[in-house]
Amino acid sequence: MIKPQYILSIILFFPVLLIQITVVPLLSINSVIPDFILILLVYYSITQGQIYGSVLGFIYGFLFDIITGSLIGSTMIAKILAGFTAGYFSSENKRDQYLIPYNFALIVLLSGIIDSTVNTFFSSVEFNTNIIFVFFEHALLPAIYSAAIALMIMIFYPRRKNF
Amino acid sequence: MIRFFVSIWSNFKEYIVLTILLIISFILLSQNNTTGVQRVRSIAFGTFASVTTMFTDLFNVSSLKNENNELRRTNAEMMLQISKLREYGITNHELKKLLDFKDSTNFPLIPATIVSKSLIKSQGTITLNAGKNQSVKVGMPVVTDKGLVGIIFSTSDNYSIARTLTNVDLKLTVKSERTHENAIMKWNGDWLVMINVPKTYDIKKGDRIVTSEISSIVPFPLPVGIVADIGDVQKGIFNEVKIQPFVDYQKIENVFVLGIVKSKEIGNIEFNFLNR
Repeated sequence: MIKPQYILSIILFFPVLLIQITVVPLLSINSVIPDFILILLVYYSITQGQIYGSVLGFIYGFLFDIITGSLIGSTMIAKILAGFTAGYFSSENKRDQYLIPYNFALIVLLSGIIDSTVNTFFSSVEFNTNIIFVFFEHALLPAIYSAAIALMIMIFYPRRKNF
Repeated sequence: MIRFFVSIWSNFKEYIVLTILLIISFILLSQNNTTGVQRVRSIAFGTFASVTTMFTDLFNVSSLKNENNELRRTNAEMMLQISKLREYGITNHELKKLLDFKDSTNFPLIPATIVSKSLIKSQGTITLNAGKNQSVKVGMPVVTDKGLVGIIFSTSDNYSIARTLTNVDLKLTVKSERTHENAIMKWNGDWLVMINVPKTYDIKKGDRIVTSEISSIVPFPLPVGIVADIGDVQKGIFNEVKIQPFVDYQKIENVFVLGIVKSKEIGNIEFNFLNR
């Protein structure tokens, strides 16, 4: 039987995407933008498990690619791996600990680095210039920005209340 | 045997699911240009863009005041330029008549507003509120008063997606306006760069770069940017030229779609010539 939360997680994607492509560009700092879709994905991966995180990453990636005109498959792979990584922190005993703001932000940071690195790889950005610089600018900075936003959301969002 | 598969599934189900999902994604990655995928994409972004339009309008109201002031200033400047250009235009028109030149400057402009932007650093795209019903077609250039923004990539009935110049998948032939030397321009993730520029080319910092007539995408000169830096590649015979674009892709809200695509007739002649 399909849990209501499964349907909700997909319905929630659309308002979050709306915010991601209309409001988030206004928050950009030197072209670096936070990824609200990733934050939602990490939340569901922690609360629902690794398999669910991977499948949700697949769905989110597909919808994102098809709606924004990106190369279909690139965001899918990035989000699958991000959801899979975040799913490692879905242990039932420690779930509440992982949803503590600082822990949650660190998981977003880790998943964000993987997500952005894979996205950068598929965007065929030239790595021959300076790989550390490319990693810093294309993967680390957006991940840090997303983690900071995730931290703020989790600080102000009441715990134990599911989305 | 069944027990064996059950034990494998229960031990490695996360990895099995991951592998299956990745395989499906890689298959879809290779199907990007098929008609079916293009059709699904057109329906999906067309539907979503209609919702986005309402949302974007709310945010545009706050920036309208600034834009109005900017437009008033531009208007005043343009008025002065127009009076000067009108004079030149009359002279030019008479000369062209004499030479029996075909006037090819009457480009139809289709106004459009950006309803959403995808600011992934290497795959910049914008969604416009003009589509097939407004005669927008794939391949048409998108411009502002400052210069070229991008190229229409996909269209639905009332919306279209354009790849901006900050998209690694868009490569254009451009030229230096001063020296008329051509090169391929692309986005490398950080800069617009002209690649494989022979060191013998006389391109200098500050040169204006426009699209080239020999481009198969934009076959007439549209402003792109100015040369910001010329890389000194020690090895080989080629340089890399960095270009500062005229258009600020983060700030644009209103654009025009140039209602023309490269003449199929010319394309066919070139194609036949190459296949002789």
